[in-house]
Amino acid sequence: MSEGGLLTSYSATIVFDRYDDIKAALFDANLSRTFDKRSYEDGNIRSGIVSIAHGAMHRARRRIENTQFRADVLRLYERELFPRVMNALLDNLIDRDRVDLFPIGELLSVVLAARRAGIEYDPSSLEDLRTLVRHVDVFSQGSAILDAKDPDAVRKLVRATYAEFERDFVRPAWSKRAALIERVRGGELAADELPHDILTVLLLHREDLALELADDGPVVREVATYLQGGTHTSAQTLVNALDLIFATGPNHAAIVDRVAADTLFAQRVVQETLRLRPTTPKMKRRAEARTEIAGRSIPKDSLVVLDVVRANRDPRLFGADPEGFDPDRTVDPNVPRWGLSFGAGPHQCPGRSVGGGFPIPASFEVADDHVFGLVALELQAVARRGVRPDGDRQPERDLRTDRFTRWLHYPVRFERLVRGGPLQEDLRRPLRELPEVPVRGALDDP
Amino acid sequence: MERAGRGSATSVTIDPDLCMGSGECVRVAPAAFRLDETRGVSVPLPGAPSVDPALLAEAALGCPTRAIRVGGAGDG
Repeated sequence: MSEGGLLTSYSATIVFDRYDDIKAALFDANLSRTFDKRSYEDGNIRSGIVSIAHGAMHRARRRIENTQFRADVLRLYERELFPRVMNALLDNLIDRDRVDLFPIGELLSVVLAARRAGIEYDPSSLEDLRTLVRHVDVFSQGSAILDAKDPDAVRKLVRATYAEFERDFVRPAWSKRAALIERVRGGELAADELPHDILTVLLLHREDLALELADDGPVVREVATYLQGGTHTSAQTLVNALDLIFATGPNHAAIVDRVAADTLFAQRVVQETLRLRPTTPKMKRRAEARTEIAGRSIPKDSLVVLDVVRANRDPRLFGADPEGFDPDRTVDPNVPRWGLSFGAGPHQCPGRSVGGGFPIPASFEVADDHVFGLVALELQAVARRGVRPDGDRQPERDLRTDRFTRWLHYPVRFERLVRGGPLQEDLRRPLRELPEVPVRGALDDP
Repeated sequence: MERAGRGSATSVTIDPDLCMGSGECVRVAPAAFRLDETRGVSVPLPGAPSVDPALLAEAALGCPTRAIRVGGAGDG
């Protein structure tokens, strides 16, 4: 049976919008993200990937993939690798006073997402990065197919993009890694000399039957999933953060300055943005078996819709003005400042600390080894370059999906460039004039 | 079941079949848990039962697969 272009039918549709009820649903082992396999097998990004896997296979995959998200790896990324890459890219991309920030955010995010995914690419090649961003855009449409306005067109596009992605980016990396793994197994190379990325761990462990990786297709799609997941949410959140800041009106310049000067405040802005603008506003689950949540009976094959936007605006948890944008708000200490935007339970986003950093304590006191998250660093970097709204050009939302949090274009201007002069000097001068970042473990912006 | 030594107040266990190695427990209570990277799962440290009960409770609540059990005296 077809419903809105999807090969899916449900026995009932049940909606939850309370924080505790949604959390209970996300932990319920009877609710899965596997909707109707036929909907995904026709060339869609999601066939056989960890995001829609369930039970023992899902846990087996996550065990090996979670090794790429350890705290020491996150610290290496955000303290050493990312600031260098980010600033070089920004210097290259912000080549005039008015630019579209959304594609810049995508390029910033795709560099490290590609590295973590383990594909073969040249991080200094804008052509490579732009091609990857185009692929990510298609994969993102695939991951949101349940909200797509034309699912058949999305499936067709994803299928074609897959072939290109596999040929140009995955196969070359696959060959290199397979050869290295052979050398490790032959005793010629130490295991810790292998690349640290998703493709490598998948190939290293693929003989484990529990992973269900015997076919090549799921390996390629898994790599694409991590590329897409690591790029899309970060880019959208960067733009959403600025959109919320600019919506504060005349106060926005002071907020931008505060972001520029205070990394922990920048992180609070990001986490507040994630709360108000979740990448997936309504999460969906299918009942594999009859279950009960918050006293409601859920029949087998029900579609369970989890309204994260409503739950994230619960005044009992987020204060008297939960609709407002307030990075300094007091939040119930038992809930993260991003609410349920990264999900909860077994499918909790593995990259939440990459983009959003570690949870911020209620005291706003963070340890020296705190992880601020890459989006906070991106936001701070553009704030330090004097980002302002472009009053002459309007932002453009992504209308291919019903998800209100997605953008296609976000024009901004960089105030300091209006005065002209050598780009490097204009961009670098404000950094030296800024006060020391007033948190322990603060990051340098070289 | 991975079991740490029992203290006077609590025992701490992790079900290795449920654990998916998110590392949340290690982040919240590094004195109570460590990651066994060969198996990709968390295990309780011998001194886990003597760690601040509030931290143990936070780790158990934050575990994405509810694989952590913190027992009080008399249960186990």
